[in-house]
Amino acid sequence: MTALIEARGVSKRFRQHKRFPGLLGAFKTLVTSEYTEVAAVSDISFDIAAGEAVGYLGPNGAGKSTMIKMMTGILVPSGGALSVLGRTPHLQRMDNAREIGVVFGQRSQLWWDLPVIDSFTLHRRIYDIPEARYADNLKRFSELLDLTPFLDRAVRQLSLGQRMRAEIVMSLLHDPKILFLDEPTIGLDVVAKDAVRKFLAEINRERGVTIILTTHDLVDIEEICPRLIMVDHSRLIFDGELSRLRSALGSARRLTLEFTADPGPLPLTSATLTADEGLRKHYLLESDDISLVTILSEVGSDRGLKDVALHEPDIEEVIRTFYQRRNAAAAVAG
Amino acid sequence: MRISVLPLLVKMFVKSQLEYRGAFWLDRLAQILSYGAVLTGIWIIIQKFELLGGWNWPDLALLFSFQLLAYSLGASMSFTQLAQLEEQVRLGTLDTLLTKPVNLWAYLIFSGLNIGYAGHIILAVPVLTWALVAAQIDWSLAKALFVVGSLLSATMVTGAIMTMIGATALIWVRSNHLFSIFFGFWELTRYPLNIFPAGIQAIMLSIVPLAFISPVPVAVLLDKPVPLIGDLGAPLALAAGPLLVCIAIAHWRFALGKYQGAGG
Amino acid sequence: MKAYIAFARSGFLSSLAYRNEVWANIFGKLVQVFARVAIWLAAYAGMTAVDGISIQDMVTYALLGGVVMGATRHDRLVRQVGNALKTGDVAVWLLKPVHYPLYLLAVEAGMSVYTFLLAVVPTIIIVALVYGMLPPASPFHAAMFVAFCGLSFTIHFLVAALFGVLAFWLMTIFSLEWLLQSLIVLLSGLLVPFWFFPEPFGTIASHQPMAWLVYYPSAVWLGRLDALETSVYFAFGLGWASLLAFALALLWRRASSRITVQGG
Repeated sequence: MTALIEARGVSKRFRQHKRFPGLLGAFKTLVTSEYTEVAAVSDISFDIAAGEAVGYLGPNGAGKSTMIKMMTGILVPSGGALSVLGRTPHLQRMDNAREIGVVFGQRSQLWWDLPVIDSFTLHRRIYDIPEARYADNLKRFSELLDLTPFLDRAVRQLSLGQRMRAEIVMSLLHDPKILFLDEPTIGLDVVAKDAVRKFLAEINRERGVTIILTTHDLVDIEEICPRLIMVDHSRLIFDGELSRLRSALGSARRLTLEFTADPGPLPLTSATLTADEGLRKHYLLESDDISLVTILSEVGSDRGLKDVALHEPDIEEVIRTFYQRRNAAAAVAG
Repeated sequence: MRISVLPLLVKMFVKSQLEYRGAFWLDRLAQILSYGAVLTGIWIIIQKFELLGGWNWPDLALLFSFQLLAYSLGASMSFTQLAQLEEQVRLGTLDTLLTKPVNLWAYLIFSGLNIGYAGHIILAVPVLTWALVAAQIDWSLAKALFVVGSLLSATMVTGAIMTMIGATALIWVRSNHLFSIFFGFWELTRYPLNIFPAGIQAIMLSIVPLAFISPVPVAVLLDKPVPLIGDLGAPLALAAGPLLVCIAIAHWRFALGKYQGAGG
Repeated sequence: MKAYIAFARSGFLSSLAYRNEVWANIFGKLVQVFARVAIWLAAYAGMTAVDGISIQDMVTYALLGGVVMGATRHDRLVRQVGNALKTGDVAVWLLKPVHYPLYLLAVEAGMSVYTFLLAVVPTIIIVALVYGMLPPASPFHAAMFVAFCGLSFTIHFLVAALFGVLAFWLMTIFSLEWLLQSLIVLLSGLLVPFWFFPEPFGTIASHQPMAWLVYYPSAVWLGRLDALETSVYFAFGLGWASLLAFALALLWRRASSRITVQGG
């Protein structure tokens, strides 16, 4: 059975007009027409099944937005094969468009000077949504995201959080099979982010809407997407469950020991000392196998140990470590 | 996409502009004064010189107002919308439109239908009406139909050329310099074609077919000789519009393909 | 002073950065100059002189219009000043040890030098080669022409900035832009020199500030004013410039204090 979205060796290269620096360079730019080629996406493959929620993660310039643009039919891949809902997106743009929803974080699709509801009405007409279905969805989503108070207000009078909630509701009014979101929580306050995350998770669970989400915010991934695709410098570097990423890296747990009096330098064999603050000492537990009991027995009961704190790595750290290890490996290899 | 979405787009756009009503008529007045000033300049020259290339004052007023009307109608359906395309490409707001099941061109045009050309039309129509009467035209049914037909064709020529220029924003991101070139030639269409050197006449009848907006149809109307193409003036004036529309459609499709292939 | 030179340089460089626009600019100017020359050739229709003005005089007049006015973009200035005031952005400038209007003058000067060198000069050379251009009437007139050009640039800048400032209280920037445009079309002498104006309009037009934009520099080049008249009208022009500068300073002070005190 074919997956909902299939990518096979997808690539995208852009040509950029060369610019030369300085005054003389400025004149040179005037008369030359040299190009540099930039690879935004290189040989990426993955399968996404119906009902999945996938996070697409990567640093700026890694090629996230480009990938989304190819999946939504905006850009044509330079190489490889891409199939969404059984179609080639750019060849059947209109048909594809009817079944997908798109939210681009920093580019609003709402009409600035008009009430929110007007944009929704236009949306209904564009996607030809049957009246009953539209009314139903509108009511349900507006309640969930608390839009009802400001449906009649002009978009320019709304806060960023309210606008984003309205955008997300609008993108779902036509019951799309897939919802693409490009950095949807950027710039939102904590309350709004939370509302959006809960809503998206629920939409995915209850309605089976496949969600593809690009973001910098790892909590987005934690709360919405069990699966994570990571890209860096146009290449795919990880595709799998978030939990697998954690264990693949080894749980570099952090241990903090607090003493009643400074016992002096205290290196351990079972853990690596990362910081010595006198009364408090911080260690890194490289291996998953080492238990707390082993460490504590190495410390001994005569050092005046007062308190122990063990931190599981948060997702930010997991990802950061992942990139660090990769870059280190690349430095060694290259 | 249903055709019925288009009137809704226009309605929404007009509604969104109602906020700025006060400024609207002031802006129209300023534009009327500006075009009026150019017309006055021409009048001053005629006061002294009586004829310009063999055309008298009513002839020139007819030419001026015909050009203004055709241009306004065509541009209201193309200029501001397509001139903004450059910025939309840069900001990425164009991409959101491409994810919707809408015809991009139709959506852009109708969601920004520029009623600001009302001023031009308010100036052009009375002058045109007066000039049609004051100029010595040998009226017939054919002539009357020709006025309407060539006006429609001229509108299409304007819209088509602007669409093609706007489409270059999809390929090269910058298009506004091309609009300046357009407006350079466009100024020439206020004057009879025969006063320009043959080279310019040739260009305006072919590569930059702006001559079909006004100099050619009005010359035909006034039974004045049309440079270079002579008797072909009438049929070409009528055919230019539809022909350019077809070319513009092809070009737009091509440009959109390029955008998706190489856009940032 | 060094700062202003730096601003002028950056104006020049930023114009340079827009690659395609250079060619479009040259092109646009070429067309405009051609148009004017063609109109006068057609108006004269073979006559060698009208009211003592020869056809060569008028061709040169048409060319000079491009030289003198070709470089400055008043619409851009009106918009810049108007927007800076309306949005209150200018507040940022009020904090710097730089006088905003002078800063604008410096940047505009830089941009104008660029346009002059890369667009106006090639245009004039091409058209002059095709149609023939009369040399200045005398070395004195040639020198005074340069002086009048400086005066023209100054007054042009002042008037545009003044209109921009007026946008703070009256009207929209858009309408002021177009209004200025209509005034320049008729009252700068760009299209029709005042000696062809019906009286009393000719006399009135010759003494209002915009006459120094195109009419006087061109008239001086052609030797239409003798040494005494040239000097007198130069002083007269300086008088207008001072008046305008004073008005601009006054209004600018009012507007910016409104912004800093009331927050616009």
